Amino acid sequence: MVEEIVRNLKKDFRVEFRNRSALNLAVAFAGITTLAISLATGGVPFPANIQSVVLWIIMFFCAMNGLAHIFVREEEERTSLFLSLNSSHESIFLSKLIFNVIFFLVLQMIVCPLYIFFLQLQIKSPAVFILTILSGGICISAGTTILGAMVSKAGGRGSLFTIISFPVLLPVLWVAIATTTRSLEDEGYSNYGNIIFFLAFSGVIIAISFLLFRYVWVEE
Amino acid sequence: MKILKFVYVLMPISIILSFMWAPSAEILGNTSRIIYFHVPLAWGGVLAFIVSGIFSILYLSDKDKKYSMLHEKSYNSAQIGMVFTILATISGSLWSKLSWGSYWNWDPRQTSISVLLLIYVAYFSLWSALGDNSRKGRIASAYLIFAMITVPFFVFIIPRMYPSLHPDPIINTEQKLRLDFEMRITLMVAIASFTLLYFYLLNLLNRITVIDYYARDKQDEK
Repeated sequence: MVEEIVRNLKKDFRVEFRNRSALNLAVAFAGITTLAISLATGGVPFPANIQSVVLWIIMFFCAMNGLAHIFVREEEERTSLFLSLNSSHESIFLSKLIFNVIFFLVLQMIVCPLYIFFLQLQIKSPAVFILTILSGGICISAGTTILGAMVSKAGGRGSLFTIISFPVLLPVLWVAIATTTRSLEDEGYSNYGNIIFFLAFSGVIIAISFLLFRYVWVEE
Repeated sequence: MKILKFVYVLMPISIILSFMWAPSAEILGNTSRIIYFHVPLAWGGVLAFIVSGIFSILYLSDKDKKYSMLHEKSYNSAQIGMVFTILATISGSLWSKLSWGSYWNWDPRQTSISVLLLIYVAYFSLWSALGDNSRKGRIASAYLIFAMITVPFFVFIIPRMYPSLHPDPIINTEQKLRLDFEMRITLMVAIASFTLLYFYLLNLLNRITVIDYYARDKQDEK
């Protein structure tokens, strides 16, 4: 199975880098949103809670913009059946999950520095901030992987992905916003309980997605 | 299913008890009577969601096709659950306005019910987007099971983590009911009658689904 995962991952990265449309669009979307918010406020810094709300809203919509793409592309290019014939559904799910996690972490690496730069963020507890961004990102990409497969089977409608993802990701966004606010406000804040929550939530979501993926992807 | 027709008797009894027998609460006055509709409706909304989830699990695990149209039954249950949840939200916000002064204030329990509503909306959106897809039942059922994971977080964890304006749950951590005898009996009768109403409506919708299925089948034969 590991060989299949590596093969699928190589294929996905190669296809993505040949036609960088998804990455380009996602990066452009992230950059434009951050710039638009900074421009609209005239560079006046917000209170910490508003800053973290806006940051996570940008990240949520970046995810909605790019994370379903990996499955939708398979359907649009009519390669999903070929993929199913060549790989087990377990390896397909795991390779797409790994791809989505890497893809979203790359997006976060672009969004966060831009956001910090344009909105003049003063981070009081950088360790908690970074860990929240990373673990929250893993949660979002883990949660949306199977939903992307569902959307691709429903014809890849863009707004549908946001509608079905929001209730599932709401606990993550809720806790992420609260933790990010604390990391911006409190110097030396070192409560890692919420980071553990993110990892536990990701674990549960991945396990359930792994079990359910067969019913979404395999035609019986 | 004759027992379900008992709803015709129990529902009027519940309404009479709510308005004529149960006393009004000390501070809240007559507005407290909303409890006999708000709590059973919220319970009905959650029950419908649980039943939908169970039907979905059975549908996905039923390899021998022992049960028929489970995904449609799950959808029917969700439809009733959506109506119950909307009514619980409306009755709750009216009560909130009367006792706290505003219709909505993102209290953890209000958040829980709005998330439940969002899940229902997402499920219906996915259902309609799948159209005539042969895997409609499987995908919609998988989504409902997937969304169910987040519900315990909102129903049980968040309301206990964040301060809430709501009173303790009726059955609280001390496992005691903090209501007068008449109020307690009225609430129990209301919960029983709304539960019965839910199952009555579900049975009705399921029968319509079966009739519709056979009618379409006959039409296709022609």
